Amino acid sequence: MSRFPLRGRTLALIAAIVPLLILFIYVGLRSGPLAPVAVTVTSVTSEAVSPALFGIGTVEARHTHKIGPIFAGRIQRLDVQVGDQVKAGQVLGEMDPVDLEDRGRSLEAAVRRAEAVLREAEARHAFASTQAQRYDELYASHSVSEELRGTKRQELQIAAAARAVAQAEVVRVRSDREGLGVQQGSLRLVAPVDGLVVAREADPGTTVVAGQAVVEIIDPSSLWMNVRFDQISAAGLRRDLPAQIVLSSRSGQPLKGHVLRVEPKADAVTEETLAKVVFDTQPESLPPLGELAEVTVNLPALPAAPTVANAALRRLGEQTGVWKLVDGDLQFVPVKLGASDLNGRVQVREGVAVGDQVVTYSEKTLTAKSRIKVVDHIAGAPR
Amino acid sequence: MRGKGIRLEGLRKRYGEGDTAVDALKGVDMEVAPGEVVGLIGPSGSGKSTLLKCLGAVIDPTAGRMMLGDEVIYDNGWKVRDLRALRRDKIGFVFQAPYLIPFLDVTDNVALLRMLAGVKNQEARQQALDLLTALDVQHRASAMPSQLSGGEQQRVAIARGLVNRPPVILADEPTAPLDSERAMSVIRILNEMAQKYETAIIVVTHDEKIIPTFKRIYHIRDGVTHEEVGMGRAP
Amino acid sequence: MISLAGRDILHTWGKFVFTGIGLGLLIGVTLVMAGVYRGMVDDGKALLNNSGADLWVVQKDTLGPYAESSSINDDVYRAVRAMPGVAQAANVTYLTMQVRKADGGREQDVRAMVVGIAPGQPGLTPGWPPYLVAGRQITRGHYEAVADIASGFKLGERIGIRRGHYTVVGLTRRTVSSSGDPMIFIPLKDAQEAQFLKDNDAIWQSRRRTEANPVFNRPGVPGLLDAVIASQSTNAFVNAVLVTLKPGHAPEEVAESIRRWKRLTVYTRAQMEGILIGKLIATSAKQIGMFLVILGVVSAAIVAFIIYTLTMDKIREIAVLKLIGTRNLTIASMIMQQALALGVIGFVVGKITATFAAPLFPKYVLLMPLDSVVGFFAVLAICVLASLVAIRMALKVDPAEAIGG
Repeated sequence: MSRFPLRGRTLALIAAIVPLLILFIYVGLRSGPLAPVAVTVTSVTSEAVSPALFGIGTVEARHTHKIGPIFAGRIQRLDVQVGDQVKAGQVLGEMDPVDLEDRGRSLEAAVRRAEAVLREAEARHAFASTQAQRYDELYASHSVSEELRGTKRQELQIAAAARAVAQAEVVRVRSDREGLGVQQGSLRLVAPVDGLVVAREADPGTTVVAGQAVVEIIDPSSLWMNVRFDQISAAGLRRDLPAQIVLSSRSGQPLKGHVLRVEPKADAVTEETLAKVVFDTQPESLPPLGELAEVTVNLPALPAAPTVANAALRRLGEQTGVWKLVDGDLQFVPVKLGASDLNGRVQVREGVAVGDQVVTYSEKTLTAKSRIKVVDHIAGAPR
Repeated sequence: MRGKGIRLEGLRKRYGEGDTAVDALKGVDMEVAPGEVVGLIGPSGSGKSTLLKCLGAVIDPTAGRMMLGDEVIYDNGWKVRDLRALRRDKIGFVFQAPYLIPFLDVTDNVALLRMLAGVKNQEARQQALDLLTALDVQHRASAMPSQLSGGEQQRVAIARGLVNRPPVILADEPTAPLDSERAMSVIRILNEMAQKYETAIIVVTHDEKIIPTFKRIYHIRDGVTHEEVGMGRAP
Repeated sequence: MISLAGRDILHTWGKFVFTGIGLGLLIGVTLVMAGVYRGMVDDGKALLNNSGADLWVVQKDTLGPYAESSSINDDVYRAVRAMPGVAQAANVTYLTMQVRKADGGREQDVRAMVVGIAPGQPGLTPGWPPYLVAGRQITRGHYEAVADIASGFKLGERIGIRRGHYTVVGLTRRTVSSSGDPMIFIPLKDAQEAQFLKDNDAIWQSRRRTEANPVFNRPGVPGLLDAVIASQSTNAFVNAVLVTLKPGHAPEEVAESIRRWKRLTVYTRAQMEGILIGKLIATSAKQIGMFLVILGVVSAAIVAFIIYTLTMDKIREIAVLKLIGTRNLTIASMIMQQALALGVIGFVVGKITATFAAPLFPKYVLLMPLDSVVGFFAVLAICVLASLVAIRMALKVDPAEAIGG
């Protein structure tokens, strides 16, 4: 009819509006909460995993000998510095004797005095004995009275007792003297074993109490790592397992070692199992005591079994499982897990079979009703 | 007086109340037969516009009688319920300026009135086209009003006024902006259409060029009309 | 009957479309603002969802661990684990701090929420990231991290948190704190150290202070000083215990029993949502609400103005239409249809603009279909109301005006 001029303009407008509407509908369906969730899917493969345990350890010496005085006193001299090698029996230093020497001399004098008193007592005893004997003879010849003989006899007994006292006194004073000698001996700080001095806790002139360590000695060939493992991830830890030790200061060079023992007492507060790990061969330059290291203990490899990435493990309700892709639909399958390794591969005992497709990465939490689209990798996550 | 046409008896219109009241129309008698084209001439302030507005059922007269064909449309009160339908179906308007709807094409401008009367679009457009052909502007049927010349627009306006076949057409200064040739053309067309469709046409004008063409003229002054025989010269 | 509104729009389509686009941008801004609010609520919900917990056990009388700081002993979880109805209970720590790239300097800091997760298993232990977009979950007990991609860290990168260096082994998405900071998951012990232990300088100063204190540094008690320093360097606190429930146990019941027997504060999922949304984002929500109202008023004003202008431009033609017998209803509906058409164009433009602009915002903007539907009807309502002014003007016109004086 007479609509042609209008038709031209109408067509132009329709040409402008239709793409706008299409864009509008696209925007409504493909973005926001209605959009499908991007997921990546991998096949379950059969792999042998080599589980490993990971812990942080500190370098320690097996035996630390802390040498100190058994009495309170002042340090007179120390002959060793930190880093010195010492031999067993070597004198490391000496405490200040204070008045011990004077006391020693005094006790020496007391000993001689006691000995002198003993000699005097013996002289008296000898004389009294001679006298008693003489008067006995005189009494036998009726020259002296009974009383006189008795008196001499009594004098003899007195002298004997005095002699015994003087003897005992000598023993006592000698013992005192010996005791002081031992004390003087303990003034010296002596190395009990061959080793390396690692600490000098106090300098000469310092007053220390009994039992306070003055010098610490370790045996440098007896270093070990005191390693802590989270109890939850410490299954299978036992002695003689091989280990890699990466010291903090040498992060590029792992050292080989093995587990010496698993401590029978764990740390209940931090919930960690403790173990001692030693180097297979002593490293040339010793790591300082207290340095941290990352220790990985390798457990024996397990036979091949269906394995998934630990990123695929999800939770639905209270079950752990994976999302399987069955004919393009999502299905949650609860699984029972086996061993896992430190690279995130987990063996599955029950629930999936080799060749099943499971969702590994997803943009959002999945539900049974989620619409998904399978992609190579999730946008925004770098390859 | 034949069956159709328009007739007024004693029409009065008073504006305002009391002391400030103005009597614009003081008893107008008028009669136009179908097929007749009469002139309505008067100076400004004579009540010309008021009379036109009463004829066009846009204002309420104060007293009197109006008859359209056999139907009494006003007798001291409107006897027709729907004035708007009255205007649409029974009265055609031709204005001083074409007043075409600028966003409708020529055919739709004319057909609109038919559609408003309930006629289906296709048929309405066909009827509009017939009228445009009668007025010799069918070649502009798909154009927009702004693309037409003044004369063409005026002819389209006349077509619009005629499309519902109203018994009466009111033309308000239809030739005022036109030159004498075009003015004559318009009057000629009005006469033709009046004859063809048996419509009574009242032309309000003070255009000297066309006054001689009327056979009858109503003069209005101070609210009353006097009939006069015109020259009736052929346009 | 032809559509007068349609014909008029076709005739003046330029003005129409231009206004429609302007209105559309305004509507787009409004939709984005609503999306910002939804994004904030979603951040809060994502935080709760991703923790995988049904109950949160925190310090007594705190709103923790997200809204307020909460500190409980790290052995509390053992007692909670033994309560009836509890399937799993795990410690967790949260600390918002600056995390740096290990090879970069301070300029590469990222603000992140460092989450300490208890040793366990993905999928089983609460607190672990619920899904990854790359890499793997943490397997070693120390010095590994899983980061949200919003942090900008890549797989294999070394990052520094306080004194430790961590290797990023996995990436997640939409694991964010309630204020939109990306989360970084590290083993619990490392996180406890990061939370409470200071840097080397501060530790050294504190040791010196302890040594200078004669109460701790007694010559008569040789091991005392070392023991005191050791106790200052350990941290036995966590921020919360996350609890998952066995099926068939109502959260509020189990929560109540924990509250009663262990004298702790426990929140269920619904309560945590209330805290996050009610306390943390309440002020922002009000601000956004005010903005939405202002934008709505401005939109209404624009539509009213444009429709009024368009109507006034046609007032002569409207008078003619009325005179030649067009119904008032037809004229009113023409105006209203124009207003509605403007609204529809505006909405379409606005929705498209909002969708493409949303990802550009620094915080998460969530555009929900429901918001769009409500917005659409709101726009239509505004257009109807705005057109009333013009309609009133049009209907008041006296058809007699068409007849000159």
